[in-house]
Amino acid sequence: MDKGNSTLTLKRTAGTFRPLALTPSEDLKGYILAHLGRAVLFLIACTSVIAIFLIFLFVIRESVGFLQTESLWGYLSKTGWYPQAEPAKFGSVAIIAGSLYVTAASLAFAVPIGILAAAFLSDIVSFRIRAVVKPVIELLAAIPSVAYGFFAVLILAPFLQKKFGFPTGTNALNASIILAVMALPTIISVAEDSISALGRELREASYSLGATRMETMFKVVIPAAHSGIIAAVVLGMMRAIGETMVVWMASGNAAQIPHPWWDISQSVRTMTATIAGEMGETPKDTSHYYALFMMGVLLLVLTFSLNIVSEYFLSRAKKATGRA
Amino acid sequence: MKLAGRMILDKTFTTLTALSVLLLSVILLVVLGPMIYRGSGAVIFRGTVEFRKMQMGLFERGDAEALDAEIAQAQEVRDAVYRQIDEFRQGIDTEELNEKARKIHREFGGELRSNGITGDEYSELRSLTKDIRDKLEEASESQDKALIRRNIEDVLEHQDDDRLKGTLAAGFFPLAANFSKAVENADLAKLSQYTEAIEQVEDILRQLFGPKPGEPTPALARMRYGATRCDQAQILLGKLLWIEKWVQTEPGKPLEKIKTPRSEQFAGTPLESLPGFVEKNLAKMLRPRLTFYWQYFIDDSYNSHYFGGVGPEILGTLLITVLGMLFAIPLGLVSAAYLVECASDNLAVKIIRMCINSLAGVPSIVFGLFGLAFFVLYLLPTFGLPSQGCILAASLTLAILTLPVMIRASEEAIRSVPQTYKEASLALGASRFRTFVTVTLPAALPGILTGIILSLSRIAGETAPILFTGAVALGPVPKSVFQPTRTLSYGSYDMAVGDRVAMMVPHNQYGMVVTLVVLILLLNGMAIMLRGRVFKKLQGR
Amino acid sequence: MTPYSATQQGAEQLTSLPRIIARRQEQAGAHDKTPRPRPQAIVNSEGFSLYYGDKAGVKDITMDIYPRSVTAIIGPSGCGKSTFLRSINRMNDLIPHVRAEGRLAVNGQDVYDKRVNLVNLRQEVGMVFQKPNPFPKSIFDNVAYGPKLQGVKNKSELQQIVEESLKAAVLWEEVRDDLKKSALAFSGGQQQRLCIARALATKPQILLMDEPCSALDPVATGRIEDLIGQLKAKYTIVIVTHNMQQAARVSDMAAFFCLGELIEYDTTSKIFSNPSKKATEDYVTGRFG
Repeated sequence: MDKGNSTLTLKRTAGTFRPLALTPSEDLKGYILAHLGRAVLFLIACTSVIAIFLIFLFVIRESVGFLQTESLWGYLSKTGWYPQAEPAKFGSVAIIAGSLYVTAASLAFAVPIGILAAAFLSDIVSFRIRAVVKPVIELLAAIPSVAYGFFAVLILAPFLQKKFGFPTGTNALNASIILAVMALPTIISVAEDSISALGRELREASYSLGATRMETMFKVVIPAAHSGIIAAVVLGMMRAIGETMVVWMASGNAAQIPHPWWDISQSVRTMTATIAGEMGETPKDTSHYYALFMMGVLLLVLTFSLNIVSEYFLSRAKKATGRA
Repeated sequence: MKLAGRMILDKTFTTLTALSVLLLSVILLVVLGPMIYRGSGAVIFRGTVEFRKMQMGLFERGDAEALDAEIAQAQEVRDAVYRQIDEFRQGIDTEELNEKARKIHREFGGELRSNGITGDEYSELRSLTKDIRDKLEEASESQDKALIRRNIEDVLEHQDDDRLKGTLAAGFFPLAANFSKAVENADLAKLSQYTEAIEQVEDILRQLFGPKPGEPTPALARMRYGATRCDQAQILLGKLLWIEKWVQTEPGKPLEKIKTPRSEQFAGTPLESLPGFVEKNLAKMLRPRLTFYWQYFIDDSYNSHYFGGVGPEILGTLLITVLGMLFAIPLGLVSAAYLVECASDNLAVKIIRMCINSLAGVPSIVFGLFGLAFFVLYLLPTFGLPSQGCILAASLTLAILTLPVMIRASEEAIRSVPQTYKEASLALGASRFRTFVTVTLPAALPGILTGIILSLSRIAGETAPILFTGAVALGPVPKSVFQPTRTLSYGSYDMAVGDRVAMMVPHNQYGMVVTLVVLILLLNGMAIMLRGRVFKKLQGR
Repeated sequence: MTPYSATQQGAEQLTSLPRIIARRQEQAGAHDKTPRPRPQAIVNSEGFSLYYGDKAGVKDITMDIYPRSVTAIIGPSGCGKSTFLRSINRMNDLIPHVRAEGRLAVNGQDVYDKRVNLVNLRQEVGMVFQKPNPFPKSIFDNVAYGPKLQGVKNKSELQQIVEESLKAAVLWEEVRDDLKKSALAFSGGQQQRLCIARALATKPQILLMDEPCSALDPVATGRIEDLIGQLKAKYTIVIVTHNMQQAARVSDMAAFFCLGELIEYDTTSKIFSNPSKKATEDYVTGRFG
C-alpha cells in the first residue's frame, strides 16, 4: 500500500469546517443577486419576443393608413397595380399570384432534387463522400442572394434568351431556377435530418423482406419520414416566398398573371420585389406607402402561418422518430 | 423478368440520387466559376500606360518620371496616327479647286499683259485676283463653314467689277459659286461621309488613347484616360477594325449582326491602311503589362465605379456587419445561456422559442420595412437625430435579423458542453454563474465562434433589410454611424441592374460581387474549419 | 446483470472475495478487542428522502457517516446509491423538479436548508465522478481551479497547493514536467487521479466518490484503491461502488441500498460476512443484482 510518498503535506484550515450556514446578510445578498440576475437574463432572453412584437406593431401601424382611403377587399381582389395613375389603383392580385407562381415553380424544381439528394446523403453514400458533399450544400446556402441575383441577370438571363429565344431573359423561369437553388440547401438538410433520424431498424426490416433500396426508400422510409419532409418543403417555401433580391432582379417585374398560366417564360412580379422596388421612391404617408406596408403585413402573415405549419410538422416528425 | 425490372429501377434510383447531388456541385461551379473568373479581372489584368496614367492622376500612385518617359514613347507612335488623319482631313477634295484657282490667277497675268495694261492698274488687278485666289484657297482648305461662306461672299462681291468682266478672271466666279454649292449640297454629303467616318475613328481613338494632346482636359474622369486595360483595348480595336450593323434580313426575324471592315469605308484613301496600322502597333501605343491591382480593395471609385475600387463598399459592409454583431452577440449569447442554463420548460420559454422561430422566418424585406418604420422613422427622430437611413439603423436591423441564428448556434454550442464539466465545477464550489463563465463558456467558445462567423457572413450578404435603412449606391464615405454608407451587397445589386456606367466596365461589375462572395466564402470556410477542429477536440483530439 | 459482471476485474479475483472478507473480519476483531466510543458523525441523515417530481430517488434514509473512514454504498443499479451520495453536496440541484424531505446534515448543518452556503458546502464536500471529467484545460489550471475560486491569487501559493494536491493524489511524479499540458492528453487513470487532486485542492473534509473506478482498467483501479487507503487518514470518504470486492477491500463501513431504501448499514466485515438481512446476503453473495 505504501508507495513511499504517502506523506500528506496538505495544510488544512485547522481541521475545522468553513461555515456551512449563510449569515443573514449573505443570504439576502445571494437572494437578491440570484433573482435580479435571473430577471435580467430573462429580460434579455425576451429580446426576440419584443422584436417580433415590434415588427408586427410597426409594420401594421404604417399600413393602417391604407384602410382609411382604400378598401382591403379591393386590395385583395383587383388586379391593376398603378400606384402612379390618377386615381391610383392598388390591386395586388397579380402580385400575390406572382409570388405564389415563382414559389410553386421553384418548388417544382427543388423538391424532387432535394429529396433525392437527401436520400443520397442519408442512405446511399459513405461518410467520406458525405463530408465532401455537405460543404457544397453549405456553400450553396452561404452565397448571398444578391450574388444569385447578379448571376441571374448577367449570366442566366442572356443565356435563356439566346438558347430558348425568349423575348426576355428576366422572367418567371429565371427567378424560379435561382429560387430553387436557394431553397435546396434548406430542403435537403431538413429532409436529410428527418430521414436519417429514422434509424436502421426500419430499413433493416424492409431489406430483410427482400425489398430493394428504392422500394425501401419509397415504401418505408419516406412515408415514415413524411412529417419531416413536409416541414422541409414548407421551410423551403418560406425561403422562396420571402426572398427579395433574386426575384427583384430576375423576375422581370411585370405585374401580370402569365397568360396562358403555364407560360413560365413571361415576366412576373412578386410581393417582395414590389416593396423593394417601390419603397425607395415612395414619399411617406401616401396611399402608395401604406399599400406597400400592407404588402409587408401580408407577407408577414403568410410566413408566420407557414412557420406555424412547419413547426407543427417538425414536432410531429420529432415525436414520430421518438417513438420509432 | 420481374426481379430484373426491380433491380433496374433500383439502379436508376441510385443513379438519380447521385445525379441530383452532382447537379448541386455543377450548379455551384456554374454560379461561382464565371463570376470569380471575370471578377478576378478587376484585380489581375494587363494594364496599359493609360491605367498607370490614371493611377497617377486620380490616386497619385506610381513613379512620375518613368511614367512620363513611357507616355512620351507611346505618344511618338500615336502621333503618326493623328498626323495621318489630319492630313487626310485637310485633303478631302480641295486639291482640284485650288489648282484651278491658281491656274486662273497665273493666266490672268498673261492676259493683262497682252491687253497692254501696265503700271499701277496692273498691280492693282493682280493683287485683287491674288486676294480672290487666296480666299478661295483658304475656303477650300477650311473645315469651317462660316469661314467658307464669308470668303465665297467676298469673292462674289467682285462679280460686278467692270474691270474683270469678260476676262479670264471672271472664271473665278463660277468656280466660287460651284464650290459654295458643293459645300452646301452634293459635295458636302461625301465630305461629311468622310468626316463622319473620321469622327467615328477619332472617337474610338479617344477611347483608346484618351484625349488628343492639346485638347482640353474633360471634366468627367472616365473621359480623361484611354483604355486602361488590354481587354478593353481589344474590344475598341475590334470596333476600329470592323463596323457592326444590326440588319433585319427578313421581316419577323430578330436583327442580325453584320460586320464590315472599316478600311472599306476609306477605300482608295490614305486612311485605308490606318486600322491595320493601329492593330499592328497597338502594343507600342498602349504598352500593356500584367498588373496586380490589389489597391482595388481599398480604392474609392470614380464616375460610379468606372475607375477605382471597392474600398468604401468593403468599409461600409464591415462597419454595418460588425456593429450589427456587436448588438447581436451579447443578446444572442445571453438568450441562449438563459434558455439552456436557467429556463425550465414553462410557458414563457415556449413563447420565447416560438418567437425565435418566427423571427427566423420573417422575410428579409419585412425586416427592411420594419427598420424603416421603427429605427429610421420612429427611433431616430425620437432621439433628435435626422430621420434618414444610416449605418446604425441598418446594423440594428441586421442584428435583429441575425438574432435567431446567433441564439440557435450558441444554444447548440452550450448544450454540447458535457454535463460532467459543469458538475465538476459545481462540485468544487463554483457558483452557477462562475461555472458558466469559467467552464461552460470556454468549452462552448469554438462552437459559439462558428455561430458568430456564420451570422457575420449571413448579414454581410443581406441586401433587402438595408435597402431603406442605410445603404446607398453612391455617396461619400461615412463620417459617423448616423450617415448612410455604400455596401458590397447593395453595390452589387446596383451595378447589375441600376447603373448604366457600370455596364461599360464588366470587370468592376463582377469585381464588386466577387469581393462580396469571396469575403463570405472565406468566412464560411473559417467556420467550417473551426467546426472541424471542435469536432476533433470533442472526440478527444 | 450480476454485480460481478459489472466489474472489470478478472475472474480470479472472484475467488478472492472470501479471503478479503476473512481479513476484514480479523481487523474488525482487533477493533472489538479495544472498544472505543464511536466518534461524532460527520454526515447525519434522518429520514431523508429525495423526490424527482413524484418519483422517489431515495426514501427515508437514516444513517450516520463517521469521520476519517471509508464508507461504501453498495446496491444494484438504480437503487439510489448515487442519488444519496449526490444529495450530500447538493449536486442533484441540476436536475429539475427535485424535492427533499427529512434531514441530511453535514457537520450539523442541514444541507437542504434554504440558508445553506452552497459554495462552502461543496468546498468542504469534494466529489469525484464516475467518469474522469477534467476540464479541457492544463493540469495546473485544473487543480488550481478550486483554490482560485476561494480567492487564492498568489502564483507561488497556487503552485504549492497544486503540488501538494498532486502529491496527495500520487500523480505528482508522473506529471511534474507536464503541468502545462492539456489534461485530456492523459490516460483515464491519470485523469481520475487528477480529478481527485482537483477535489483535494479545495481542502475538503469529506470526499464523495461516485463509482470512481467504473471507467478504468484493473491497474488504474488498483492505484485508485491504494490512494483511497492513504487518503482515509485525513479525509472522510464516501464511495459508491458496483464492485463487491472493491467495497470489501477499501471500506470500513458499508451501506446496502435497494430500491431507494437503506436495507442495511454496518461495518464492512459484518455486511460481507454476516449480514442480518436476507436481501443483503443475497446481494453480496451474488444471488441477485
